[in-house]
Amino acid sequence: MNRNRKLGFAALGLAAAFGIAACGESGAPQSSQGNQYNAAIGNTVRPSSTSGGTITFDNSSVPDSTDPGNTYYANQWNVIRLYGRTLVTYKSQPGAAGNQLTPDLATSMGQVSADGLTWTYHLKPGLKFEDGTAITSKDVKYAVERSYAKDVLPNGPGYYSLLLKDPNYPGPYKDKAPDKLGLTSVTTPNDTTIVFHLQKPFADFDYVAALPQTVPVPPAKDKGANYQLHPVSSGPYKFQSYQLDKQYTLVKNPQWKASTDPNRKQLANKIVFKLNVNADTIDNNLLHGFADVDVAGTGVQAAARAEILSTPRLKNNADNALSGFLWFTYINSKVKPLDNVHCRRAVEYAADKVAYQTAYGGPVAGGQIASTVLTPNIVGYKKFDLYEALSKPHGDLTKARQELQACGQPNGFSTTMAFRSDRPKEKATATAEQEALSRVGIKLTLQGYPSGKYFTNFAGVPNYVHQHDLGLAVGGWAPDWPDGYGMLYYVTAGPAIQAAGNTNIGELNNPQVNQMFEKAVATKNATDRNKIWSQIDHKVMEEAVILPGVYAKSLLYRSPDLTNVFVHNYYAMYNYSTLGKK
Amino acid sequence: MIAFIVRRLLVTVLLLVIVSMITFAIFFLVPRLAGQTSFELASQYVGRNPSPAAIRAVEQKLGFDQPLVVQYGRFVKGIVLGAHYNAGPDKTYCPPPCFGYSFRNQQPVWPMLMSNLPVTASLAVGAAILWLAGGITIGVISALRRGTLFDRFSMGIALAGVSLPIFFTGLIALQLFSYNWAIFPDLQYVGLTDNPIAWARNLILPWVTLAFLYAALYARLTRAGMLETMSEDYIRTARAKGLPERTVIVKHGLRAALTPIVTIFGIDLGLLLGGAVLTEFTFSLHGLGLFTILAIQNNDLPEILGVVMLTAFFVVIANLIVDVLYAFVDPRVRY
Amino acid sequence: MSPAAAGELLQVADLRIHFPTEDGLVRAVDGLSFRLDRGRTLGIVGESGSGKSVTSLGIMGLHEGTRAQISGEIRLDGENLVAAPRSRVRQLRGSKMAMIFQDPLSSLHPYYTVGHQITEAYQIHNDVSKGAARAHAVELLDRVGIPQAATRVDDYPHQFSGGMRQRAMIAMALSCDPELLIADEPTTALDVTVQAQILDLIADLQAEFGSAVIIITHDLGVVAELADDVLVMYAGKAVEYGSADDVFGDPGHPYTWGLLESMPRLDTERRDRLNPIPGTPPSLIRLPSGCAFSPRCAYAALNGGRSEREVPPLRETGPGHLTACHLPLARRRAITAGLRSVAEDSDLARPAQESGPGMR
Repeated sequence: MNRNRKLGFAALGLAAAFGIAACGESGAPQSSQGNQYNAAIGNTVRPSSTSGGTITFDNSSVPDSTDPGNTYYANQWNVIRLYGRTLVTYKSQPGAAGNQLTPDLATSMGQVSADGLTWTYHLKPGLKFEDGTAITSKDVKYAVERSYAKDVLPNGPGYYSLLLKDPNYPGPYKDKAPDKLGLTSVTTPNDTTIVFHLQKPFADFDYVAALPQTVPVPPAKDKGANYQLHPVSSGPYKFQSYQLDKQYTLVKNPQWKASTDPNRKQLANKIVFKLNVNADTIDNNLLHGFADVDVAGTGVQAAARAEILSTPRLKNNADNALSGFLWFTYINSKVKPLDNVHCRRAVEYAADKVAYQTAYGGPVAGGQIASTVLTPNIVGYKKFDLYEALSKPHGDLTKARQELQACGQPNGFSTTMAFRSDRPKEKATATAEQEALSRVGIKLTLQGYPSGKYFTNFAGVPNYVHQHDLGLAVGGWAPDWPDGYGMLYYVTAGPAIQAAGNTNIGELNNPQVNQMFEKAVATKNATDRNKIWSQIDHKVMEEAVILPGVYAKSLLYRSPDLTNVFVHNYYAMYNYSTLGKK
Repeated sequence: MIAFIVRRLLVTVLLLVIVSMITFAIFFLVPRLAGQTSFELASQYVGRNPSPAAIRAVEQKLGFDQPLVVQYGRFVKGIVLGAHYNAGPDKTYCPPPCFGYSFRNQQPVWPMLMSNLPVTASLAVGAAILWLAGGITIGVISALRRGTLFDRFSMGIALAGVSLPIFFTGLIALQLFSYNWAIFPDLQYVGLTDNPIAWARNLILPWVTLAFLYAALYARLTRAGMLETMSEDYIRTARAKGLPERTVIVKHGLRAALTPIVTIFGIDLGLLLGGAVLTEFTFSLHGLGLFTILAIQNNDLPEILGVVMLTAFFVVIANLIVDVLYAFVDPRVRY
Repeated sequence: MSPAAAGELLQVADLRIHFPTEDGLVRAVDGLSFRLDRGRTLGIVGESGSGKSVTSLGIMGLHEGTRAQISGEIRLDGENLVAAPRSRVRQLRGSKMAMIFQDPLSSLHPYYTVGHQITEAYQIHNDVSKGAARAHAVELLDRVGIPQAATRVDDYPHQFSGGMRQRAMIAMALSCDPELLIADEPTTALDVTVQAQILDLIADLQAEFGSAVIIITHDLGVVAELADDVLVMYAGKAVEYGSADDVFGDPGHPYTWGLLESMPRLDTERRDRLNPIPGTPPSLIRLPSGCAFSPRCAYAALNGGRSEREVPPLRETGPGHLTACHLPLARRRAITAGLRSVAEDSDLARPAQESGPGMR
């Protein structure tokens, strides 16, 4: 998922530098409950059923699309839950429960056939769109079909065409069938049943059914590229108005029934999304009560962070949450001499993890030092520390030299480290590790690339990587769903290697790992499956193709005017579908 | 005069054609020269981890696979005749001037430009009135009181104004007046026709911030111009006639000193109408400046083309108006 | 030649106009006295920097707003302008006294029509309608010799020729029928042929309007043609003052001699070159001690150093003829007689040096 935060060119830290502190207390006396630092991590702050008021969301950019079938932004997926329901969804609960799926439109989780190739969902009775028409399984099928129309709706993920049979279906707009429901791999035996036919077993399919692309779309109301202006609501709120790039407003949808939906609330009368608001202005708006939520959910800017952390009143309304990202460095297993695992391990040992953390902004703004690929808020995570990242965070030079010996490069070696030149944190990381690795004789040449072409033209093109000796490449990952598949597959699985746009930049193509992935996606039992994810994590770390940097964290500000606030484990920001106003 | 204006308008059209060609060339030719294929270009406009088929679909839809001349021709045709566009279930018609559809959100560019223009125009025109009034007054007083405390103080401020970037003065202004003292809380643009009072109230800070920069510039220009004109012989003549000093300064001195300022003002206003990027960014005003930022961030050719051509149009027209005005201001100028 | 006090219009007494600068005090005019009667013309001559223009601007009160320090008296019709309030001087400007400047192009405002610039002056001092003021302007333009004045009144200065511009300036100056007209180098910027026309015009108008005229110039020919009296200035002081006949017929100051020598003449035989005065005018901040002209004066040595020590006072050398020179009158007469014969007999370039008494 793309955790969207466009970098502006604001003078960061300006207000703080000028010593202009926000004074004046606006909030009424707050209940002691929830009024403390990190209170919304693992708990619901100010649980309430008070109705009314307006919630204001500020967005420093614009959504890639408000169309549930055309977005890949995490924050928009979170927002969509206000006006769109999926077959299954993540529990609206604080803590680890947030990673668990629960039926939404469907009556139960997907029923998988014995061969693992068909997944069946039944819709709850009485579900209605905002215009009062009934939601049928055909509307869900049509929504899924839209994910094939990449020319019109290019932004969303492409899991259906990847997993389902009939992968060359051209999408509903070029569909020859009169009802535009010609996708043969999704069938609707009746109006409440939908069946998915897979090419191969995929045990994680419920996660795929939780993607916003199963938010039902009535075919008659589909306006293709223009559907974003008024997606037909199946959730507690519906579109009232949309000024493109500026603002959109949601109001209560009377057709939504709370009885069918334990994961959403319909409290505020109105929800306003202000787009393209200056990032520092958002922070100020939050701190002064002009806005309730920063949609991006990636934390406040440097100026506000300094102010919040130094002001107890503000700090009590802040949460330092894991953001879902792992920031790490790929270690390429094909570029010499890193094709030798000992040389890769030497890098793991010699790296300075504290410097890595500092480069990303320290423990609060950056994150906690990582020793695994799976992040702690992911299903299947198990803590281990192969290269003493936690016990010797500045690096173990003795072990590093031993590995260099074993690799046949006792005096070290030279290679190139790639990073995205327009990302200051990656540049700082590269510089810090250049210094850290030089302690054992590993000499790094730093090479920056524009982030827009990092994957398409440079670090994501194996040929380019080999020709230019890009032994190391800075990167990051956030999963599309919170388990080992979402986190590990695209960065470590052999079949994920691509000639361009490659995300397995370490080019690990380990038969054992590949086979474990296959086994995992065929394992129906979740407990067993989650064990395999941890095993893959361990194996990948043994292979040392990824140098974990930090489990990213961000400092979120929790408006004292909001009710039912908690950090959702999966979205890695406040859960938007339950918020109310005091 | 009419012939002159017609000739200039024709040149304007030619200029816009050249501007659009250059923008086109920068967008398509430069990456191509750097070895980028149209497939790679298209991959920027598809979501994450796209399949090659998805990229191909987008490549075809955006027309990248066709020769550049064809793409440019289609662009021109859209402006003149309008264009049809595949929105999915049906084709939508985009009436002329159709600047194409955004790669980013697949919406027609022209209505987006037009919906952002009032914001920028409100900002630019309001600020222009402020900075003309403020800058010229201060400049005249400074020139007439050269070397006094007022002169030194105001020229010091002017130097600061010219040097300080908007996102500095703007953030300070926001911090003080919007947040600390809540004089202008919760700023957001309101349409002039929707609520004129809220419109003005919410624009005061951006106006003042933007005007501060330009007022500083104009004060310095006016001061220099006034110092020069007030030493002209015809000022001495005016005084020798026994005219009151106020008449001498305003009618004889300022009139002449303002002429070059009119020229600069035309260009400044024209450029600003194309988007006051920093001010709009700082104050989150949804004008053409913010639109430009989004367009560039997304490498969105139709949007970039639209905003570049609109800006070029404003600058050219502003220049034309200035030239015509000049003929009225300075009788020595004739076309 | 001492005009009746009843005819006296302007009296300047011990006028000092000093400008403080960072380098020191510039004594542009330093103790100047002269008088002017109605209907008469005074020519003020001198090189640039001699203080003649500063004097005229001082009379007009146009140093207002500068750092000029003015003392002494300027009495216009008995009213001391130096002590008068600014507003009073402004009232007099353009009405009772008017001025014509050197460069008519730069002295006219390029953005206003000639007619507008004339009516503007007229309307300030006279409560008349726009139409009446315009008719007056047309009349004036016609009077100063602008053809088709009724249409040209709406022309801009750049549409006029140089001579016509100066005529327009004159019309503007005469719009309120001034008693005193100051013409500061009125012909310097004009073609030679036009120069004579303008001078004739000024003379005619003076006869017609009966104004007193001060004509400021470095050109003795102009003075010879127009002036009744002549004031020769050097370094802010008068060095010779008398009737035109006296000054031209019996010049009493070596500087005047120099000016006369350096003047091209049509009434004598053509000479190969003119005889400029050697050296340059002195700095007005650090004037030479004694006679300011002494460093450039070929005859200063004849005074045994007195010229370098003492400032020579203006002394009457004839009735109403004043000169400021230490050289005894008899010697001066002898020298002028010699100069005249030399000038007529030979081609000697620098009589002051080569045939002057000091060299003998």
